[in-house]
Amino acid sequence: MAENTTDSRSAYTADGIEILFFNIGESIYGIEIKYVQEIISVEQITVVPKIPDYIKGVINIRGKVVPIISVRNRFGIEEIPYDDRTCIIVLEFEDGEQVGIIVDRVQEVLVAKPGDISKAPDSKNVNANRYIKSIIEIEGDIKLLLDCDKLIAD
Amino acid sequence: MAKFEAGMEAMADMYVFETTSLLEQLDQILMKTENESSFAEEDINEIFRTMHTIKGSSAMMGLENMSKLAHAIEDMFYIIREDHPVISSMETLYDIIFSASDLLKAEIENLQEDEYTPTDFTEQMTKIEDFAAVLKGASPADGAAAAEAPAASSAAAPAPTAAAPTAPAAAAAPVSGSGLTTVKVFFEDDCKMENLRALLVINRISESCAELEYIPEDIENNGDTAKTIINDGFLVKFRPAPGSSTDGIMETIRTTANVKSCDIIERGSEAAASTADAVTTVRVHFDDDCKMENLRALLVVNNVRDVCENVTFEPADIEDNAETSRIIVEEGFVVRFKSDKPQMVLQVIEGTPSVKSYVVEESPEQAPAAAAPKEAAPAQASAQPSQAATSAQPAPAKKAESPKPAAKKAEASKPAADNGAAGAAKGGVKQSLISVNLNKLDVLLDLVGEIVITEAMVTSNPDLKGLKLDNFQKSARQLRKLNSELQDAVMSMRMVPISGAFNKMTRIVRDMKVKLGKDVELIFEGEDTEVDKSIIDQLNDPLMHMVRNSMDHGIEENVEDRIAAGKSPKGKITLSAYNASGEVIIVIADDGQGIDPEKVLAKAERNGILTKPSSEYSEKEILNMIMLPGFSTNEQVTEYSGRGVGMDVVKKNIEKIGGSVSVDSKFGQGSNFVIKIPLSLSIVDGMEISVGNSIFTIPINSIRNSFKVQPNQLVKDTTGKEMVMVYGECYPLIRLYQLYDLKPNTENIFDGIVILVETDGKSACIFADELIGEQQVVLKPFPAILGNYNIKQYGMSGCSILGDGSITIIIDVSNVISDF
Repeated sequence: MAENTTDSRSAYTADGIEILFFNIGESIYGIEIKYVQEIISVEQITVVPKIPDYIKGVINIRGKVVPIISVRNRFGIEEIPYDDRTCIIVLEFEDGEQVGIIVDRVQEVLVAKPGDISKAPDSKNVNANRYIKSIIEIEGDIKLLLDCDKLIAD
Repeated sequence: MAKFEAGMEAMADMYVFETTSLLEQLDQILMKTENESSFAEEDINEIFRTMHTIKGSSAMMGLENMSKLAHAIEDMFYIIREDHPVISSMETLYDIIFSASDLLKAEIENLQEDEYTPTDFTEQMTKIEDFAAVLKGASPADGAAAAEAPAASSAAAPAPTAAAPTAPAAAAAPVSGSGLTTVKVFFEDDCKMENLRALLVINRISESCAELEYIPEDIENNGDTAKTIINDGFLVKFRPAPGSSTDGIMETIRTTANVKSCDIIERGSEAAASTADAVTTVRVHFDDDCKMENLRALLVVNNVRDVCENVTFEPADIEDNAETSRIIVEEGFVVRFKSDKPQMVLQVIEGTPSVKSYVVEESPEQAPAAAAPKEAAPAQASAQPSQAATSAQPAPAKKAESPKPAAKKAEASKPAADNGAAGAAKGGVKQSLISVNLNKLDVLLDLVGEIVITEAMVTSNPDLKGLKLDNFQKSARQLRKLNSELQDAVMSMRMVPISGAFNKMTRIVRDMKVKLGKDVELIFEGEDTEVDKSIIDQLNDPLMHMVRNSMDHGIEENVEDRIAAGKSPKGKITLSAYNASGEVIIVIADDGQGIDPEKVLAKAERNGILTKPSSEYSEKEILNMIMLPGFSTNEQVTEYSGRGVGMDVVKKNIEKIGGSVSVDSKFGQGSNFVIKIPLSLSIVDGMEISVGNSIFTIPINSIRNSFKVQPNQLVKDTTGKEMVMVYGECYPLIRLYQLYDLKPNTENIFDGIVILVETDGKSACIFADELIGEQQVVLKPFPAILGNYNIKQYGMSGCSILGDGSITIIIDVSNVISDF
């Protein structure tokens, strides 16, 4: 995966890329809007036995069986009960595969200009860092852009 | 790079499909003739026709290289057919054709890739041409044959060159200048591909024309002619055949798709009287008491029409007037036709069912002088062939340029002539077949799946709970019945016999036989077993792999070893297929040396893939190790014919389509590879059971019974393993919540329900919270990211969406009980 998105589906506008930000605990993470298909509330998740913990199971989205990943679990952060602000962001990948990710709450969509984006540190030690694609500085805040492909990869 | 000319993409699918099946046919014929070690006239014709069709359609698609290669083979077979040369080296001949067929197949594969660059076939073509030259030299007839050959090959040359020699010949014919009607055709603006539309016009009218010329000539191969046609119009010159009129032909042209206008520029004479002296008249008598003579006569006419032009007959109204049968019985049935090869037509008549005898009353030989000037020079050279498409007479030669209709006609006429009534009936069946894009069938299947789910949503809607709805229930039952019929219909559409996949193996065995110098016989059993098309497509590679395997490692290297072991010197590989409880079972068996379990175990130990002490492995476990990834493929036991992939890939491929593979082998006696695949991918009759919050579906066909356990039925063995006594037998108890680490509503065996399941002769009891009910579910594969975790091994074959939108997991019983 390229360090900076240069692939065809990249949502680079003249001004930069659109990013959807969400909360996990106090931290704010972003994912590129090109992956986001929809945002739904948490519904009954069907447990699939014998799979890793971070995959919570599958749900039915309009006849499609979509696996659900807990971002908290993926980052090694303690999981909390779902409340009415807990959301599933449904991502769609280039091969048509859909995956839902559970986040604490969705914040906003912002446009990051190319100048705002800097490379992620190389450290692979911290669990959450493995999934970080780049660091974004918008309006004085530091936010982390997640790498969706790594998020779902084994 | 664009693979095809603009507008041809739509044809590409059809072309690929057609050419692939033609090449498969070709392989089959070759295999058959090689076995019989003789070329029947019929086979040569068939090969010739196949190559001719490929040549034509490839040229149409602009695939020059394929067209030329096919042409070279066609030429070679032309020589074989015409000159009956003594073929010195059959092996060389077969090698040449087989490798050419492989090249063509590979090219078709390439064509389907995104990036396509035409392969250069020059080398192969040189080989073919050289061999053809040898054949020509070996021809028994000398002077005359030698003179014939060049003429013959020019007659069979590809369309662009064929048009050249024939057209001037026709122009030089004394009758053509004055007698032809000239029509200028314009096509609708922007209708695209004017040249092919023009070809369509030619095809439609060629039947009813005695002579036919058109300008531009190379419409089939030259896309640029479209421009000429737009600007100057498409000029057609024709002379109506006896029995058709200029007006009729004009009407045909006018009604052809996209024709904007057609005007007669120069009116020629009506059906040429001068052609009459070339007509052969035959009086046909039918078997006594065969009944419906008029319709039998019609069959004769149809057959004759397939092979020549200008067919007229008496009585003329046989089709509509049953009275004519009496006349036919008394006086015979008179057929008149014009053909440059009357002998062939006579054969066709003779071959038609119920024909008792025929008498030639008048033939062109009686007036050879009149017939000669009408035919182009090459026509005389090719007077013998029983092939309409190769005739160089002006009118049919034009037709030969549009290979499809010509070849199809030839094909249709062949069975009719050869097999009599059966063949004729087959002709009828053929027309009732259509080929449909598999994607469309997939969409249909998905839709039916959705309907099944929706039906359940409606009929078991929670809003209806507690209501007494007699009429509703009645209609719901009807709906369910219709839905299940619909399902069956859709499923049956997708079913194809497995013989297609099997037949491909003949070829592999043949090639390897030569390469490895082993004498092996391939036997099919149950090849008409039907399997879903999408499954068959996935089956080719694994099958090929295992057959190669059996050839390479199963069958002994030395015949002496076989004889010493008391086996027949000829090795045997058996491919068999049969249905068993909703599955198709395919067995690849060989009577070779078998697999040495000790070697396998030693090897596995060296590769470090053992998970328990080597002494604890059962023989079956050891044998199945050869399918584990990481079981290296570079030693005798598992070296697979240089493909660089092992049995683990086969296993993976089979599992991808929901199947399983197992090995069974007796060292010294042979091996069996057993593939089990689901009959169809999609709809399963299932029993829903619940465990805690989860709902599982067990396929009905693996359930024997379900019951509440009584205390006296429960048995524990020494290791604490639970067993249940049913019908006087003990079965292991599998607590689903334990197997799947779930939180059940009850752990008490006497509260829940036990389901006795059976598959492949193995049985076990599954313990769950409760039975929910029977439902048809549509099997959906798990999302790809779950596929990484080998959940199939734990007996989960897929999932499905229930009527209320919740998801159920479908249990594959055989995997659940394999560990118990």
